[in-house]
Amino acid sequence: MDLNKLMTYMPALLEGARNTIVLTVISVIFGAILGLFLALGRLSKNKLIDRICWFYIWLFRGTPLLMQLFFIYYALPNINPTLTLPGQWIPALLALALNSAAYLAEIIRAAIQSIDKGQMEAAKALGMSYGQAMGRVIVPQSYRRLIPPVGNELIALLKDSSLVAMIAMTELMKVTNQISTRESNAAIYLPAAVLYLAMTTIFTVVFEKLEKKYSVYE
Amino acid sequence: MMVKMEKVAKSFGSLEVLKNINFEVTKGEVVCIIGPSGSGKSTILRCLNHLERITSGSVYIEDELIDERVSGKDQLKISQKKVSEICSKLGMVFQRFNLFPHMTVLQNIIEAPITVKKVPKHEAIEYGLTLLRKVGLEDKKDEFPSRLSGGQQQRVAIARALAMRPKIMLFDEPTSALDPELVGEVLEVMKELANDGMTMIVVTHEMGFAKEVANRVLFMDKGEIMEEGTPQQIFSNPKNVRTKSFLQKVL
Repeated sequence: MDLNKLMTYMPALLEGARNTIVLTVISVIFGAILGLFLALGRLSKNKLIDRICWFYIWLFRGTPLLMQLFFIYYALPNINPTLTLPGQWIPALLALALNSAAYLAEIIRAAIQSIDKGQMEAAKALGMSYGQAMGRVIVPQSYRRLIPPVGNELIALLKDSSLVAMIAMTELMKVTNQISTRESNAAIYLPAAVLYLAMTTIFTVVFEKLEKKYSVYE
Repeated sequence: MMVKMEKVAKSFGSLEVLKNINFEVTKGEVVCIIGPSGSGKSTILRCLNHLERITSGSVYIEDELIDERVSGKDQLKISQKKVSEICSKLGMVFQRFNLFPHMTVLQNIIEAPITVKKVPKHEAIEYGLTLLRKVGLEDKKDEFPSRLSGGQQQRVAIARALAMRPKIMLFDEPTSALDPELVGEVLEVMKELANDGMTMIVVTHEMGFAKEVANRVLFMDKGEIMEEGTPQQIFSNPKNVRTKSFLQKVL
């Protein structure tokens, strides 16, 4: 494929890359929120809540992401037509967010449990409730320890998001597939790979910066 | 009566750490608890502010029954709000300081008054600075705890506990984690507090401090209070064999 041809496809690739980033970032935000609740649930004294959260994590970590995606996109409408989700964005976001929540939950739980027990005791001795102690003392201290594994998870998710090409969501992978088919030339995967590398590099740098920023008190 | 424990027992599984503990502390009194490691000294303090729950017996703070249990079962329904209220009356200083590392010195001190007691921020800051002046660390108010020496951290921890305006201060081996040359500055602050009339229960290995500052000394061994009396009685004329052998080892 000559360079001129490649340049004509650049806007399409860049738009695909933009969708990949949006998809990844939104999924990881919702995944982190759900993951935090799952982690707190796993740490809960209430056995039932602990079990439910354990089950969720077991289910979503134990089955392939692609299968979860197909389940949401194809199987739900078969089970009941009212469960049909509109378009590609919503099922893609839902699958990625639900899946990453399971991984993030375990990351968050491990970070919270690594905080010295004396911190919870000091907070309680000062009269704080469990919720206040978690929100003001424990969870904020876990941020710095969360950054490296969350960075890993984000990069893994960015690459895994290529799976949503399978439900015809037009992100970078799908766009590349389309061009490759149309041109009968797979060389287009090379610039696409460079774009993936560029995106993961940005996240790596951002997370290194964040780690420095949250290390000020150590 | 500021603190009263009646027939308190505490077990961790089959291990009995407190047996039939009875003692009282009156207003303004400084009580030092001494004894070998693992004798249950710290557990007494931790049972007062519900960091541990007693297995049986009764606990009173300011003449109010705050815990009553029989073989691990509550005889008294106690809400989270009530526990928080009790904790506000009891200031606790830990062996390992347990300052919040992600907050500056001043933030450490104003955090609980603002979130728990809903004190307006400017009032909390004003009082926080007064307390920092009292422990001699006003110039460190914007430092993170990791930048301070152990002695300074413990003085901040004392100020943090005082910020809740407690009625009683509990000290759990406050100088045991400190380098020897830093012990003095912490004891100095504690002496000042005692002179100000604060009611204090101090678990300590600093026999000098107990002799000089305590009104009463309790000697504990194997989960029981073996002997109690004035420092004069305990240190110069111990009656119990185990008190004698303990004091011989540490003095």
